[in-house]
Amino acid sequence: MPRAMTPVERVTEAFGAAIAEVSAVQGTPMLRVEKEHVPVVAHYVHTHPELRGTLSLLWAMDHRPREARSELYYLFTLRERREWLLLRTELRGEDRLFRSITPHIHAAKWYEREIRDLFGLIPQGHPDLRRLVRHEHWPKGTHPLKKEFSWNTVLQRQQGEYRFRHIEGEGVFEVPVGPIHAGIIEPGHFRFSVAGEPIMQLELRHFWKHRGVEKLFEQQNLATAVPLAERVSGDTTIGHSLAYCQAVEALLGLEVPRRARYLRSLFLELERLHNHLGDVGAICNDTAYVLAHAHCGRMKERIMQLSDRLTGSRFLRGANQVGGVAVDLTGAQLAEVVTELDAIEPDFSELERILFANASLTDRLETTGVLKERTAWDHAVMGVVGKATGIDRDLRRDRPFAAYDELQVKVSVYRYGDVRARMRVRMDEIHESMRLIRDVRERIPQGPITAEPSGVPVAGDSRCEILRSCSGPRFSGRYWGTSSRTSR
Amino acid sequence: MFRIIKKSLKTGIVTGRHPAAGPTTQPVSPEAIEKAKPFRKSLTIREVDTGSCNACEMEMNALANSVYDVERFGIHVAASPRHADALVVTGPVTVNMARPLRDVYKATPGPKVVIALGDCAITCGMFAGSYAVTGPVDRHIPVDLRIPGCPPRPAEILNAINELRQDKPTRCEP
Ligand code: SF4
Repeated sequence: MPRAMTPVERVTEAFGAAIAEVSAVQGTPMLRVEKEHVPVVAHYVHTHPELRGTLSLLWAMDHRPREARSELYYLFTLRERREWLLLRTELRGEDRLFRSITPHIHAAKWYEREIRDLFGLIPQGHPDLRRLVRHEHWPKGTHPLKKEFSWNTVLQRQQGEYRFRHIEGEGVFEVPVGPIHAGIIEPGHFRFSVAGEPIMQLELRHFWKHRGVEKLFEQQNLATAVPLAERVSGDTTIGHSLAYCQAVEALLGLEVPRRARYLRSLFLELERLHNHLGDVGAICNDTAYVLAHAHCGRMKERIMQLSDRLTGSRFLRGANQVGGVAVDLTGAQLAEVVTELDAIEPDFSELERILFANASLTDRLETTGVLKERTAWDHAVMGVVGKATGIDRDLRRDRPFAAYDELQVKVSVYRYGDVRARMRVRMDEIHESMRLIRDVRERIPQGPITAEPSGVPVAGDSRCEILRSCSGPRFSGRYWGTSSRTSR
Repeated sequence: MFRIIKKSLKTGIVTGRHPAAGPTTQPVSPEAIEKAKPFRKSLTIREVDTGSCNACEMEMNALANSVYDVERFGIHVAASPRHADALVVTGPVTVNMARPLRDVYKATPGPKVVIALGDCAITCGMFAGSYAVTGPVDRHIPVDLRIPGCPPRPAEILNAINELRQDKPTRCEP
């Protein structure tokens, strides 16, 4: 039998001349594609039956003032083998135009709008070029991630109005909601065009809370930016800080000791637990089943108090640091964690039985909010929502980090794509996280918890690039790092 | 039905099962206490997020769970500023949220108190100086009570609010 072609071979064979260079970033193959050919190559990777890549991330970089060029990176996760494939293209000199891939790949829509706002690069052929991050009152020509833009610029205000799309017709109403709306929740503006019950169109206005975190990262030292990473999203403190730390460690060539890796897994699973418990409760609350919400809230609180006892922070802040972890757990503390989980698990299982015996609840969950697998693939859906539609992906298993190469993660996948399936995924993951934590306690080795800092970036080329990922309960995070000896 | 009742009975009362909060670090000003006088029996809060990382909100949410159970102190969370006596603001005020914050303040009927929750709302925390952040809450609207922390623990929030309302401190059992 002939050897199966690798994805890179496939793409280079199909596009030969369009591929300017083949290289790899720490094991991930990277193809440099000429700018004009990006849409066709991306389309090929997205639709070819052997590749079926989903766009996991799309980002840009401004290399000025060092080099007069900008770059765009397209990260695809391939369907079957869950490998990564990176496409890269260059805009030389003052070139500000690139070709949009959104007409073929829906998932790129917001990325490209964001790149336009933050870098001032214009995706030609994009179907919707309204502003996304920069609300209308931002002055024209403000592109914060351009290198010449100073991080502490004081923005002026200008006049302007976002052009919402409207649907008109008999019996069609537009219901505006937000930005400040409903319970204790972050701002967002929604416009529903409804005709009776069915929603005909939903227009979103987001980015109210844009704080300029990316630019703030540029101002930090590699080792001191961990607290900032922890504050990107409060409920994913470990998720973000871990992804960030792994990126920095790869840049500095630090080897994290095994004990620290196990502790990182433990913290990440604790974080997953409190998020999932909160989410299961919230789903029940939104279907007016307040009792379950109360029980979940109580269990979640136990996890948060446990985290507080372990690390001095209910959100596990300060637990991670570059090179390892900042908090070691004693044998007694590990035992305490397991005892606590042993108390919560039967409690939660009992609640599960109550929930699924409740017809009025399950009625509201089944066939509600169905997301079809095809749509999910088109939009590169990940995480819990992806797993609920049959997208069998989990970074912990597919690209093991922390201690997941030794802990076997069972991924639960459902096919229906409705709210019930999403709730089931969360419930299964709650049990799985508890199992993983017990496993950590069984296997955790003794030893140091931080790596010896070597202080120098990877030898050789004075410039290096890395890509590190980590899957938290609510996000699948990727940090792209580039550093040179002279830079911070 | 039987199962549900059994579970509730087995669970018992969990209210107050949390570690005691340390003493409040920022003293509550006499003017704020005077201003909060009408709300001693009942206080309705509208939470406004102007750019937080959401951890502060999660702690606000935790106040409503059965462990902290703020309703026993007559504190409710309203869905609209028009129903609110107090605004709890979290996060540094971003460029995009500056106007909505002022609008919300105007929409809240007087008398009203404003509580800045978390370091971000008080000093902008780690986000101070960013092009996308306009400044702390008191740059835009008058603030009566500041609850520092990143994020402050629910018990600390509760203590500070109760101090403002001159209510007894939260009951605390092991
Ligand atoms: S004070 Fe801390 S927890 Fe609160 S919003 Fe700011 S960074 Fe998040």
